Amino acid sequence: MKTLLGGNDAFFQGALRAGANYFAGYPISPTTEILTLAAERAEEQQDFHFLQAEDEIAAAIAVVSASLAGAKAFTATSGPGFSLMQEAISWGYRVEAPTVFFESQRVGPSTGAPTFPAQEDILQAMHGAHGTYYPLAFYPNSPAECYTLAVTAFNAAEEAMQPVIFLCDGYVSHLYEPVDLEALEIPPAVPRSRPPLGTGKRHFTGIAADEEGIPRTGNPQVQEAWVRKVKKRNEEVAKRYPLYEYKERDSDTLLISYGSTSRVVAPLQERFSHFRPIRIFPVLKEELRKACEGYEHIVVLEANDGQYAMLVEHAIGREVEKIPLLGGKISLSRIKEPLKEVLGVELEDVL
Amino acid sequence: MYYKDLIKMQRYPHSWCPGCGIGSVLKNTAKVLAGMNLDHTNTIAVSGIGCSGRMAGYLNMDAVHSLHGRALTSAEAIKTVRPQHNVVVLSGDGDLFSIGGNHFLHTARRDPDITVVCNNNEIYGLTAGQYSPTTPKGTYTTTSPKGCKYEPIDIHGILRTMPRYFYARSTVWHVLHMQKCIQEAIQWKGFAFVDVVSDCIEINGRHIGYKKASEMFAMYKEKYKIVRDVEVLGPHDLGVVKKE
Repeated sequence: MKTLLGGNDAFFQGALRAGANYFAGYPISPTTEILTLAAERAEEQQDFHFLQAEDEIAAAIAVVSASLAGAKAFTATSGPGFSLMQEAISWGYRVEAPTVFFESQRVGPSTGAPTFPAQEDILQAMHGAHGTYYPLAFYPNSPAECYTLAVTAFNAAEEAMQPVIFLCDGYVSHLYEPVDLEALEIPPAVPRSRPPLGTGKRHFTGIAADEEGIPRTGNPQVQEAWVRKVKKRNEEVAKRYPLYEYKERDSDTLLISYGSTSRVVAPLQERFSHFRPIRIFPVLKEELRKACEGYEHIVVLEANDGQYAMLVEHAIGREVEKIPLLGGKISLSRIKEPLKEVLGVELEDVL
Repeated sequence: MYYKDLIKMQRYPHSWCPGCGIGSVLKNTAKVLAGMNLDHTNTIAVSGIGCSGRMAGYLNMDAVHSLHGRALTSAEAIKTVRPQHNVVVLSGDGDLFSIGGNHFLHTARRDPDITVVCNNNEIYGLTAGQYSPTTPKGTYTTTSPKGCKYEPIDIHGILRTMPRYFYARSTVWHVLHMQKCIQEAIQWKGFAFVDVVSDCIEINGRHIGYKKASEMFAMYKEKYKIVRDVEVLGPHDLGVVKKE
């Protein structure tokens, strides 16, 4: 049966489907619905835990700590809160805590335009925190995908033993569509693998430590070995999720867009080829290289000034055209001028 | 159970300076845990960052060395997920009250069933001697070369604004008293705070007129007095104040 589901709601339902049982967060647009849903859930279900923390710093620490304690833990925030969480995310990478950070982007920098969508935190999701680590991030473009990808995100976090960033934006968060949850293909939830706190004599520390948790700050080999280990694991897990959509058309132009932008430019996909990355990190290098072959024009449309475009250029080794959609309005009418400028075509002619 | 079974002796020699009060806080915490039959099967240790933040890692149980200032938040989340376990936080004054000040306020307000043992040495030791929120006014530190300009934070006073609280103060000289405070704190159902006045001879003491740790211990003996059955502790009173 189809029900009307918003992106935030769908993500939350998907998190439950994945077995999530701990949420800590702090109110922020456009993700507050998830905080509210988690609070309601905790009232109904004793085995679901909820904390409205004093700030995002505390929320993120609580999520990583709850994960170590044995929960499947997650939070939901937007750019400013995500910035405050970065310290704990870095810690999460070091103590190898499977966690999911839902980040629905809005216009920035700073407070920006809180209820208007953007895609300006792509690079923050990649390396917003300090130190060497290997991000995993997914980005859906519909409520149905928020649901299925939530399970994928929790599974990937568990397999890679690291924080996973679930990127979203204000449009997808608040996009309501009829979804038949029963009809969706959902991967089985990966169970917790590491024994919870209170069962051993382990030391979970942010310090460069050996496998026993003993600090070895004076020994570069120990830290190097750890980096190699987590890099390898990240790559292996990423290989299981080469998620993207590629629509090939008889065209000399490939458009690249993701999240809500890919929905807005959907009418152009009849005329031009289109590539939509779903796994944002690690960057889909091989897939992009293959998809980009043979096109005269490669145009990246995104609600930021070329953050993903830069990564595409790095992956495929050539420059791409960029159409930035800034200020919180992602619409076809705004593409009209840049489309003419970049491709020399009228929007009306290609619709 | 012998207290040394609760300490990771294989990690010795430890990282603290000779004469440091942290060893006393760790040892007496371990003694209390051993006396209460608390070990890795039923207890989890949590620390923040700093010299004092290293304590949890020396306990022979699952220990979480969290981030600077975030030990209380970490401990509360762990207690939520593992409610049958005792969660003991071992950390310092800079960690708990400065960078962790907001978390201190809100964790105390939410009143989770965790125990906090604070090694309060009135200084940032690991970063080599900056004033902390508990440094007495007028004290020389590397960031207050002409004496600290500010009054120290009143932890006892903050906790007493809560409708329900447990606050104990002891020193590293009054070790039996410290043990009693820690034991009572662990038994308290809720947020229990043990403020242990402690010395940092190398980074603090030597710069404010003490030649060795024993001189600071003698000062604690002289200056601090154990009191019983009081509702409020004076600045140099040692004891437990609590309200159900």
